[in-house]
Amino acid sequence: MTSAVWWRIAWRNLWRNRRRTLITAGALAFGFLAAVVLVALAQGMIGQMVENGTGLVTGQVQVHAREWEPERSLYATIGRAEGTDVEALVAAVAAAPGVTGAAPRVYGGGLVSAGRRTSAGIVMGVDPALEPRVSRLLGEIERGRAPRAGVDEVAIGSEMARRLEVDPGAEVVLVAPAADGSLGNDLFLVSGVFHTGLTELDAAWVLAPIDRLQALLVLDSGRVHEVAAAIERPWDAPVIARDVAGALSAGGLAADVRPWTTFRPELADYARLAQSFYGVIVAIVFVMAIFGVANTMLMATFERRHEFAVVRALGSPPSGVAVTVVLEGLILGVLSLAAGAAVTFALLAWWLRSPLDLSALVGDFTAAGALVEPVLEVEVSALGPVASAIALLLTALLAAVYPAWRAARVPPADALSGR
Amino acid sequence: MPRSDSHRFLVRRVRPAALTALLVSAAVGSPPLHAQQTAREIVDEVDRLLRGESSRGRVTMEIVTENWSRSLEIRVWSLGTDYALARVLSPAKEAGTATLKIDQEVWNYLPRVDRTIKVPPSLMMGSWMGSHFTNDDLVKESRLIEDYEVEIAFEGARDGGEVWEFALTPLPEAPVVWGRIDMQVRKRDRMPTWARYYDERGRLERTVTLGDYRMMGGRLVPARMDVVPADEPSERTTMLYEELEFDVGLTPDFFSLRNLRAPEGL
Repeated sequence: MTSAVWWRIAWRNLWRNRRRTLITAGALAFGFLAAVVLVALAQGMIGQMVENGTGLVTGQVQVHAREWEPERSLYATIGRAEGTDVEALVAAVAAAPGVTGAAPRVYGGGLVSAGRRTSAGIVMGVDPALEPRVSRLLGEIERGRAPRAGVDEVAIGSEMARRLEVDPGAEVVLVAPAADGSLGNDLFLVSGVFHTGLTELDAAWVLAPIDRLQALLVLDSGRVHEVAAAIERPWDAPVIARDVAGALSAGGLAADVRPWTTFRPELADYARLAQSFYGVIVAIVFVMAIFGVANTMLMATFERRHEFAVVRALGSPPSGVAVTVVLEGLILGVLSLAAGAAVTFALLAWWLRSPLDLSALVGDFTAAGALVEPVLEVEVSALGPVASAIALLLTALLAAVYPAWRAARVPPADALSGR
Repeated sequence: MPRSDSHRFLVRRVRPAALTALLVSAAVGSPPLHAQQTAREIVDEVDRLLRGESSRGRVTMEIVTENWSRSLEIRVWSLGTDYALARVLSPAKEAGTATLKIDQEVWNYLPRVDRTIKVPPSLMMGSWMGSHFTNDDLVKESRLIEDYEVEIAFEGARDGGEVWEFALTPLPEAPVVWGRIDMQVRKRDRMPTWARYYDERGRLERTVTLGDYRMMGGRLVPARMDVVPADEPSERTTMLYEELEFDVGLTPDFFSLRNLRAPEGL
C-alpha cells in the first residue's frame, strides 16, 4: 500500500543520478572492506602474537604445585615431595576438551661449563616425545638435533653456545643444586643448538631429557614442576584451565592450573589493547563514512526541494517525505553491503591461503616478550563481518536521518514559489 | 697476636669483615678496654691483626633446611684475607669437592666430572655447598673500619655477664651489603656471643650465635657457630671446629688450581 509507494519512490530516486549513487555505494562498500579486513588483520596479528608468545615455551595452560609461585623452588613439585603419577597426570590434562597436547617439565638452575668458560643457565627437563605437541622450542634447533630421552644430552641456546664456544658434539658440565642439598654435577653432550630470537632463551636456557635432569637434581621420576598444555583456541584458555583444575581435583590432586592470560598477563593486556585499538579504527572508518554519505544525501535532497514540495502539496504528510529519504539510505546501505561483502570475502579467501610476507621489508621483532614475524595473516571470525555489516547499515541510516528531517521540513508554498 | 684464619675463612661467608673482627676481638688477649680507646680503634686493631696470617683446620658443617639436612666434613686452609681453600672430606658422594678463593674469584672443583669451574658473577649470590652462606660471602673482603662506623651501643650486664654491644653502620658509599651489623662481645674473655646482620631497610637477615669456647691452636676460640636466616627461622647452618692450627706457614702459591684438584696429602 502506501509504504510500497515510498519504497518505489526511494528506489527510483536512487537511480536518478546513477553515478553519484554508485560512488557513494562504492565508498560504503570500501568502508566495509576496510573494516572487515582491519579486524581480520588485527585478529590475525593478535592470534599470531599469542601463538608466538605462548607456543614457544610456556604453552597455553600450565599445571603446577600450589607452592610453585612465586619462588619456583626446586622442591615445589606437583604432588609435593611424594610426587605424582606423571603419566596419568599428563594423560588427564591432554584429555581435557580443547587441549591438543600436554607435556611434563622439570626445572633446575645452575651452571653450564665448557673448558674455561662458564655460564649461568636455566635447565628445563623435557620429554622429547611429548614436548613438540606443546612448544616449538625443540623445533627451533638450528644445528644438531634434540636431546634424546635417557641419554646425557642437552640442547643449548645459540647465544650460550657462542659464549661457551661450543658446537654440537661438545661436552659441557651441568652443575645445579640438587634436592638432597648436594651439588649435582654431570657431563652432558651438546646434541643441538637452538635459536629462538629471544635473547633470554638463547643465552640462558638449556634443554635436557627430563629423566636425566631428574637424576642430576636427585628428584624421583614422579616429581615434576610443571605440566604444560597446548590448546586449540588461545582465548579458550581460562575456561580450559578451569576444566583441567576441576578434573585434577576430582582425581584428588591439589594443583594450580593457570591459563596463559594469567601467567603472561602482559601478553593478554597487549592483545586486548590491540583489539580495542582496532575497534577504534573501525569506528573511525564508519564515522567518516557517515559524513560522506550524509553530505551526498543532503545534496540529493536539496536538489529535490521542488519535488518534495509537490508531494507535500498533493497531501503527503511530512513523515512520508522523511521515510522516502531514509528508505533511500537503507537501500543504498544494502546495495553497498552486497557489493562490499562480495569483494571482501573474495579478498579474505585469497589472503587466508597466502599470507602477506613482509619479511623483506621488516625483520622479526619482539613485542610484549613475544616474537613477531612480519607476516600479515588474517583470522576471520563472524564477529568482524557481522559487526561491520551492522555498522554499515547504521551508517547509511544515520547518514539519511538529517537529510530526511530537512526534506520533511520543506515548506511547500515557499519551495514552489521559488523562494 | 693473630687469630683463626681458618675461622675467618668460614666466617667470611657470614659477611666476613664484621664477624672476623668480632671473632678477632674475642681473641686479642685481654688488655682492659681503656676509656679513651674507642670502639672503632678496637675493631681496627683486631681487623689488622688478621692480615697475613695463615691457618689450617677441620670443620663439620651441619646444614638444616626445610627440605633436607646434611652434614659435611671439610678441611680448610687460609692465608690472610685473599686466599682460602676448602675441601669436602665426607660424605663420600661429595668427597673431593673443593672451593678455592683468590681475591674476588671463586673456583669449584668437581671430582665426579673432574672439572674446575669458575663461579660466574651472576651466581656469586648462590649458596655455597647448600649452606646458608653464599659464594659472595667468601669473597667479600673489607676492612671493617673502612666501610663501617663503629659505636658502642651498649655496655653493661646482660644475662649475668658484662658485655659490649657494638653497632656497625656502613659509611656513605661503602661497597657493602649490610645496612647494619650488631654484635655482642663478653668483657670477661672478649669472646663474641652473637652477631645480627640487617639489610638496607633495617630488616634482620641473619643471626649468628657463637659458643663452645675452647682452646684451639693455642688460643681461645668459639668452636661452634650457628647461622640462622631470619626468613627461615627453622633452618640453620652450624660450623663445628674440630681442629684448628695457626701460623702454619702457608704461601700464596699453595692456593693454586693444581692444589684445588689434588687432594693427596692435603
